[in-house]
Amino acid sequence: MEPIPPPSGTIDATVPVPIAELFALAADCERAGKLQQADSLLNHMLTAMPTQPDSLHLAGIVAFRLGRIEEALESMQRAIQFGVDTPLYLRNICEVYRTLGRLEEALDTASRAVALSPNDPLCLHNLAIIHYERLELDESIACAERALAMNDQLAGAHFELAEALLLQGKWDRGWEEYEWRFRIASAAPMMPATNKPQWQGEPFDDETLLLVGDQGFGDVIQFSRYIPWVAERCPKIAVACAVEVAPLLTQIHPGLHLFQKWEDAPPYRAFAALSGLPRLHGTRIDNTPASIPYLRADPNKIAAWKNRLDRLTPRGFKRVGIVWAGRPTHNNDRRRSATLATFGPLFNLPRVSLVSLQKGPSADQTGSYFGRAPLINVGAEIQDYDDTMAIIENLDVVVTVDTSVGHLAAALGRPAWLLLATAPDWRWLLERSDSPWYPTVRLFRQTAHRQWSDVMQRVAAALLERFAPPTTIDAAAEAPPAKRSRRAKAAI
Amino acid sequence: MNSLATQLCPCGSGLRTVRCCGLNPAALPPADSTRHLVPLIERAMQAHRQGANDTAERLCLDVLEMAPDRPGALSVLYQIRRAQGNMPAAEALLRRVVGFDPNNFPATNELALMLMGKGNLAEAEIHARNAVRIAPQNAQAHNLMGMIMTEAQRPRIGEYHYRQVLELTGQRDPILLANLAWNLKNQGRMEEARALYEESYAAAPDIKQTLLGWARMEEADRQFAAAAEKLDKMDALWPNDPGATMSRAVLLGREKKNDEALAVLDAVAAQNPEGKLGPNELLDKGRMLDQMGRYDEAFADFTEGKRLARELSGNQYLDEHAANLIDRLRSFFISGRLATLPRAGVRTDVAQPIFVLGFPRSGTTLVEQTLTAHPAIAAGDELPLINDITGLMPRMLNSPMGYPEALAELWMGDQRNGLDNLRDWYLQKVEQMGILSEGKVWFTDKMPLNETHLGLIALLFPQSPLIHVVRHPLDIMVSAISNHFTHGFFCSNALETAAQHYLRVMELVQHYRTEMALRYMPIRYEEMVDDQEATVRAMLDFVGEPFDPRCLAFHENRRYARTASYAQVTEKLYDRSRFRYRHYREHLEPAIAILRPAIERLGYTVD
Repeated sequence: MEPIPPPSGTIDATVPVPIAELFALAADCERAGKLQQADSLLNHMLTAMPTQPDSLHLAGIVAFRLGRIEEALESMQRAIQFGVDTPLYLRNICEVYRTLGRLEEALDTASRAVALSPNDPLCLHNLAIIHYERLELDESIACAERALAMNDQLAGAHFELAEALLLQGKWDRGWEEYEWRFRIASAAPMMPATNKPQWQGEPFDDETLLLVGDQGFGDVIQFSRYIPWVAERCPKIAVACAVEVAPLLTQIHPGLHLFQKWEDAPPYRAFAALSGLPRLHGTRIDNTPASIPYLRADPNKIAAWKNRLDRLTPRGFKRVGIVWAGRPTHNNDRRRSATLATFGPLFNLPRVSLVSLQKGPSADQTGSYFGRAPLINVGAEIQDYDDTMAIIENLDVVVTVDTSVGHLAAALGRPAWLLLATAPDWRWLLERSDSPWYPTVRLFRQTAHRQWSDVMQRVAAALLERFAPPTTIDAAAEAPPAKRSRRAKAAI
Repeated sequence: MNSLATQLCPCGSGLRTVRCCGLNPAALPPADSTRHLVPLIERAMQAHRQGANDTAERLCLDVLEMAPDRPGALSVLYQIRRAQGNMPAAEALLRRVVGFDPNNFPATNELALMLMGKGNLAEAEIHARNAVRIAPQNAQAHNLMGMIMTEAQRPRIGEYHYRQVLELTGQRDPILLANLAWNLKNQGRMEEARALYEESYAAAPDIKQTLLGWARMEEADRQFAAAAEKLDKMDALWPNDPGATMSRAVLLGREKKNDEALAVLDAVAAQNPEGKLGPNELLDKGRMLDQMGRYDEAFADFTEGKRLARELSGNQYLDEHAANLIDRLRSFFISGRLATLPRAGVRTDVAQPIFVLGFPRSGTTLVEQTLTAHPAIAAGDELPLINDITGLMPRMLNSPMGYPEALAELWMGDQRNGLDNLRDWYLQKVEQMGILSEGKVWFTDKMPLNETHLGLIALLFPQSPLIHVVRHPLDIMVSAISNHFTHGFFCSNALETAAQHYLRVMELVQHYRTEMALRYMPIRYEEMVDDQEATVRAMLDFVGEPFDPRCLAFHENRRYARTASYAQVTEKLYDRSRFRYRHYREHLEPAIAILRPAIERLGYTVD
């Protein structure tokens, strides 16, 4: 169907196209991802009929998908106001509330959706997500299981179940459910369709095993530790990976065949995702392979960056690397990312230089920093992970939200302090301040949803303690990394 | 009549444009072919000597119509026009004399003086240097260099040339001694200056400029009674001299006798034919009213002073020029390009600069005075050198482009160490200025608005601390409207343009800080006032020098700063200047509208 021309100016309410037809058109556009077109159609319709609930609801979905979250909420609230408690509206508005961090309202609307439509597994699925984010893991698991009892092919519910189980440390069952992530309809496929089988851990040495560096760079850094274990079973390994991480993988296992484009893939017998290796390995918390460091910075680069940092930072100052935001396209970026301003408690630390390793759009916040501790924006000069590693080797500690830089510092065996959301990624488990994956990691957890201030205050206090002139007592406690449990309470 | 008039050159020389400012040198007849005009020129000279100016003028115009490059006729016509007070024509003619006859010492001397009088020091310097080249043993040539370098805030070079004059003449001319004294005062060498003033005055007690300079020197040295005594002498010899009267008002103001100071200013106004004060006097008066809490009257005087200054000088904010430069800097200094550019190496054999950055009137003088009370840090004051480098760069890097695009030459095989050369040029100039002394490992460069060139500075001095003095933008605006400064493309000639330039520069700084790793530290003026010791300790930590308690007593640092802030800095840290914009809240509305984003980003509020 040809799109109708975008409306201009005020709309004639007597436009001779039946409203149902217009609505169907808008819905088609939304489904086809033509969001701008859907948006202007719905605008057109809502000018004529500002209280039409279905249009309001669809306008909310479109606005949400366009990233206009506040507007999405308003449209959906109006849809509910004029269209009573339609379960579909409630099911969707709860996701908007969740995105905005308004978890009470999210829980309330999701529960009402389930009550009104008890046989809709999608309502239960959404409720499971909200329980996860509220760190009500048993409730989350129960909801996901009820959804799966209605439809056991619901990939999203399996994945939600996996995340909750993994976060609880129930990795055996978690890994199996985690496999469903590849079947989530909205997720981009990991690789082009293939008739080759998924590797099940069986050894072979005549043919190539294809590994896929899936998910984010942090995942690649974390799970590439399994490559030597894989190589013991299948010595010929090709890895599909982004060019940025290729040098890291070569370091870990020099004989890999690395490629960046699928048309360059060599013939292979079976494939596996890097993030699927813990399952094949049978990883449990007590047997997590962690021979750290498994990455090393280039000594020449370390020396060059030492020279540069010696020039940029005042003599005798401790250097604290900081990263406040992850890749904005990450699903949970709103939850995991902070702002430079939230690092406020670190701005007045005496004789400390903050060294920004931040890349990407959030890096421009360095231009608005007016704190007392000098902030050196080396992020502007970082070309690749080789630079980042060499810089980290010249820092006293790295303080970062949950990004690849944390993995990098940790894989180098450098002190990496990670700032985690109340409901963190499953790999950081619950409550503990250390990690079975990386011995030099120290975890600082949010105690209240999306509240960084107390986290940063704890980090500042810990830095003060770490940099305090050594006393006899401190000297005795120097050897093992401080392991204290600042137990985070779930926000209930 | 009209068609003839339109042909005449707008400079007012009386020549046709094509024979004057629109002259095409390539179309000139060969010098030899106009030799038959020489008798006419001689007649013109003779007529001029005899006071027959009409005859002389007509002869000159006739000659120049046929031979516009004849220096003799140009010189005579120049003298006639100057005597008539027609300065644009006089300047155009004198420039042509020097252009056609580069070895003409009297004309070169005259042109340098004329340009210095106009405040065009950069061009005056070029001609003064030529004068020395033409006549290296001529005392007046060195005198020119002495005066111009002193005015251009390079007093050490000026001192050298003044002392050359003393040597060449073998005499101690009282005016020269007074000029040298003024030079030494600008170097903060008050005792030596005082001795010279005494000697000059003893030899010639009736020279106005000597007494006035002496009075100002004593005032700057906080010897208020001595200053008053000199002014009393002036009053006796030259009653109601405007210069003396203004110095009296300023002196009374510094002694906090504001009522008396105002009375003096009112008397000055009454003397003027129009009953009004000039732009500088208006600002002086406004500042006194401000001290007395009469804010609305003060602001009215500031506004009128700025308006008059614009009217008299013709200087407006060079909006397009500023916008163009800042746009080009913003597009040139991006992280991708910077990754491919070299940095200058760091010299360890010579003291290194600390850059004290900030908008004029933001507290850079205070920070500099504090830092330079430290035994390891010399005071460089406002060094024009970074700005000079931006002008020299195309030549030094052999580039067909201007700054900053000329930095692209650093990609050439023969310019890889181009930055080292620029750095060495800067350090050599600093050495020539005599800023450095034994035991100093740093020197300050507090040229305001050097932050415009933050990118270049970081390429030249990658290790140098960059201390950016930050202050409530509206307080800066109050200060900018109540003082004259020419930095920043004349932005301070109106409140709105000062605000606009401030915003532009702050956004440029934000850009540099996003695109580059800089050794940068912001210092809030307000924190300096609130907790001086903590701020000083933080700054010295940042520089890498141990704390020295002398920095806290910087007002005892006897060094005299040349800039407008000196009177404040020699007082103890004063709280009165913090958030004084509140007294002018309504008057500042046009600036608030412009500055709102900067105010918020800096973490200030408007209340």
